[in-house]
Amino acid sequence: MRIFKKTTNIDFLKYKWIALGLTLVIILVGILNITLGHGLKMGVDFGEGTLIRIEFKNPISVSAIRKQLSDVGLGNSIIQELGKEGREFQIRTIETKSTRNKAQEIESHQVLATKVIEALQSKEDQQKVAQGLIDLNNIDRKGLIALLTEAFPDKGEELANRIVDFRTKQGLITDLNQLKQSPEVSLPDEVLTFLQKKTFLGEMIVLSKETVGPQAGKELRKKATQAVIWSLIAMLVYIAFRFKGVEYGTSAIFTLAQDVLIALSIYSFTNREINLPIIAAFLTIVGYSINDTIVVFDRIRELQKTMRKEPLEKIMNASLNINLTRTIFTSGTVFLSVLSLFLFGGKVINDFAFVMLIGSIEGVYSTIFMSCPVVLFWNSLFKNKKKVRK
Amino acid sequence: MKKNLKWKIGLVLAIIGLSIFLIYPPKNKIKLGLDLKGGTHLLLQVMTDDAINAETDQQIARFEDLFKKNNITYTKAAKENPGRFYFEGTNADQEGKIRDLIDQYTRDWDYSFTGDRVTFRLKQAAENFLRDQAVTQTLETIRNRIDQFGVAEPIIQKQGADRIVVELPGIDDPERVKNLIKVTAVLEFKLVKAGPAQDEQTLLQEFGGKVPDDAEIVKGDPKRGYQGYYLVSKVASITGKDLRTVRRGTDEWNNPAVHFSLTPDGARRFEQVTGQNVGKQLAIILDGKLQSAPVINSRISDSGIIQGHFTPQEADDLVVILKAGALPAGIKYLEERTVGPTLGSDSIRQGLFAGLVAIFAVMAFMIFYYRLSGVNAIVALILNELIIFGAMGYFKATFTLPGIAGIILGIGMAVDANILIFERIKEELALGKNVASAINAGFSRAFSAIFDSNLTTIISAIFLFQFGTGPIKGYAVTLICGLVANLFTAVFVSRLIFDLFVPINAKRLSI
Repeated sequence: MRIFKKTTNIDFLKYKWIALGLTLVIILVGILNITLGHGLKMGVDFGEGTLIRIEFKNPISVSAIRKQLSDVGLGNSIIQELGKEGREFQIRTIETKSTRNKAQEIESHQVLATKVIEALQSKEDQQKVAQGLIDLNNIDRKGLIALLTEAFPDKGEELANRIVDFRTKQGLITDLNQLKQSPEVSLPDEVLTFLQKKTFLGEMIVLSKETVGPQAGKELRKKATQAVIWSLIAMLVYIAFRFKGVEYGTSAIFTLAQDVLIALSIYSFTNREINLPIIAAFLTIVGYSINDTIVVFDRIRELQKTMRKEPLEKIMNASLNINLTRTIFTSGTVFLSVLSLFLFGGKVINDFAFVMLIGSIEGVYSTIFMSCPVVLFWNSLFKNKKKVRK
Repeated sequence: MKKNLKWKIGLVLAIIGLSIFLIYPPKNKIKLGLDLKGGTHLLLQVMTDDAINAETDQQIARFEDLFKKNNITYTKAAKENPGRFYFEGTNADQEGKIRDLIDQYTRDWDYSFTGDRVTFRLKQAAENFLRDQAVTQTLETIRNRIDQFGVAEPIIQKQGADRIVVELPGIDDPERVKNLIKVTAVLEFKLVKAGPAQDEQTLLQEFGGKVPDDAEIVKGDPKRGYQGYYLVSKVASITGKDLRTVRRGTDEWNNPAVHFSLTPDGARRFEQVTGQNVGKQLAIILDGKLQSAPVINSRISDSGIIQGHFTPQEADDLVVILKAGALPAGIKYLEERTVGPTLGSDSIRQGLFAGLVAIFAVMAFMIFYYRLSGVNAIVALILNELIIFGAMGYFKATFTLPGIAGIILGIGMAVDANILIFERIKEELALGKNVASAINAGFSRAFSAIFDSNLTTIISAIFLFQFGTGPIKGYAVTLICGLVANLFTAVFVSRLIFDLFVPINAKRLSI
């Protein structure tokens, strides 16, 4: 089957000015947004605050969390719900000017993180700990083994391992009866009674905590920028070499720079932050979205042999049309897999998937509307004289 | 069957077998990154300036000593900055003598004379050596401490000139380990000359308000129940280096305490000091803070006890750091990431599910659009995934969450090559070529574009690998493995499948 009955015959190059205009508008709006407006939000990987992921036993609202944080002066933290019916949240502390200037060290970040965690711990939990009860949701494997082997020497260790494995898989234990009912744990009654007496189920656990100090953050920022720029240069050199023409290399660079800039512009309008995986996504876009362009250039080179008399513009249009299905489908399969990652891959990798989604759509656009016009512009700028002489 | 098909089939089967061998059983062969199995990642910087500083101070003391012994006069010895110090007020007549003395005792320092001053500068090579040594020693000490503390499979590596990466899987109490790593742990036993006093002035009253030359002031550690200031001797009677064994025990009131015994050399010195100073106090100082100041009741030879309101955990940790020894230089944390086991196992589950959805979506598309040829692409895709896992097993690479993302992304990229080839074949068929030559042309004409496009993606992945930290490196690795494997599966294997299943005189091709 075919998606288009016959090979299409669209004059893509007719739209080059419109396309160029559209691209420039998107990039310009993006740059304005980045410099004057909303701005790009740097994440923890680049030395901004601490990222804490927390799971609660009972559902809680963002505003309730914010209120608790406001009480300790951290109301400006970024709070996001991550799912699990309002029980899982991500909190990023924001450095105020005073804390940032006071200490250029990682410790200043961590003080805030500790404050956040302490503010969210419930009063009841703290009281129970003070009474000598043990938090079954937060005790570590070693500790639980010690506790249970003391009471049940023969099976304590095995039971403790089963409980911790269950907790690792399920997340917070909300009810001790879960441990009895779950077939993986099937806790005997006497152990259950023991746990009821000695332990309690804490209201929250910290799932993860990440801090990058300002110094390491700055270095990473520098390295990330360098990596993007160098890989762009590598593409330029490689394409220029393979297609024996600076115009093709230049075009590749423009197309890629456009890809990155458009993705960055769109990204700047979201509430997402720039972290290492985002840089990875940009670099992947640089390496991947050139593929379609290569396929088109390859065809141009091939057609130049058979359509010698025809003007370059016509050859380009023919190449774009012949390759239209390819351009769309190759990016389409990547789009499919990235979409799956975006929908089901979980919060940690979601921003990455988002950038790749933009990249895979917009790579098609840039191949069709940008790659060839740049070659033409280059030729009209630098190669006119040659042609006249011919 | 054509002859050259046989070795091709053999090669493919061999690679399948090898990949399965390399990754089976997956439970043992797949290494999970900290972001998937949970644990703590620490990046720290060794303050190598400390080592240079310490060396400079030592040299000053050494030459002061040497000058005095050799009757060389000077008025002042002082440090200008780390790695640079001078002696002032030297006598011009003694210049030759000084030169001889320096040449005899050190090769690591350049020196120059200007007027009545001789300036010492640490040579670059010596400085580099000292810095390097400080990092290596710090790394060894940290490794000792972590081993003593008991962490399964820690990774402790040098990174760059002065960085150390510490990865601790499955740690539940990162704060405790962090503190354990960070303490410098210089232990000194010094005689108390005066104190405790509320402030420095009161302390120095009987010394005319000035710190005597052979003494220094230390503060009590409030955590150990010691407040106020003490005046102690400058020279330590014994230090942590003189310890032979350290273990946790209890004191006479059954509180946690640390018992130690001394090396023969240390014991001799300790015996001498305690014997001569019965009735006086001996300060036990850790990292410049006084931990306790027991009264010397009698001559002690080779063992003793450190007490001071320890919790059992604190006593344990003190044992660990004393056993592992002191850090030669201070350290600073640059990065800290802790992932709990729950989040990690969530990530694995979600990643696997997303991967399965992706692979089925792509398969469905390929079969829907390319029919039987799509099946060919699917076989190649599955083989591609298998090779990625095999290669990951071979390189002992670590699976991280971004790595899983790389594999999922690779699913979409892997069939690109098939699409290019199949489209080309369609094109050739439309031109009226027969099936066999269309397949032939499809593969040979699409190859250069496939090669180029895979290579460009690999190039950018290499840049990514260069710059990235752990998880991102994992992504770059899976991506590169996938793309290299893709050249083999989509071109070689897929071609082989056509050769095997499409008769040479086929009239139609399901594509």
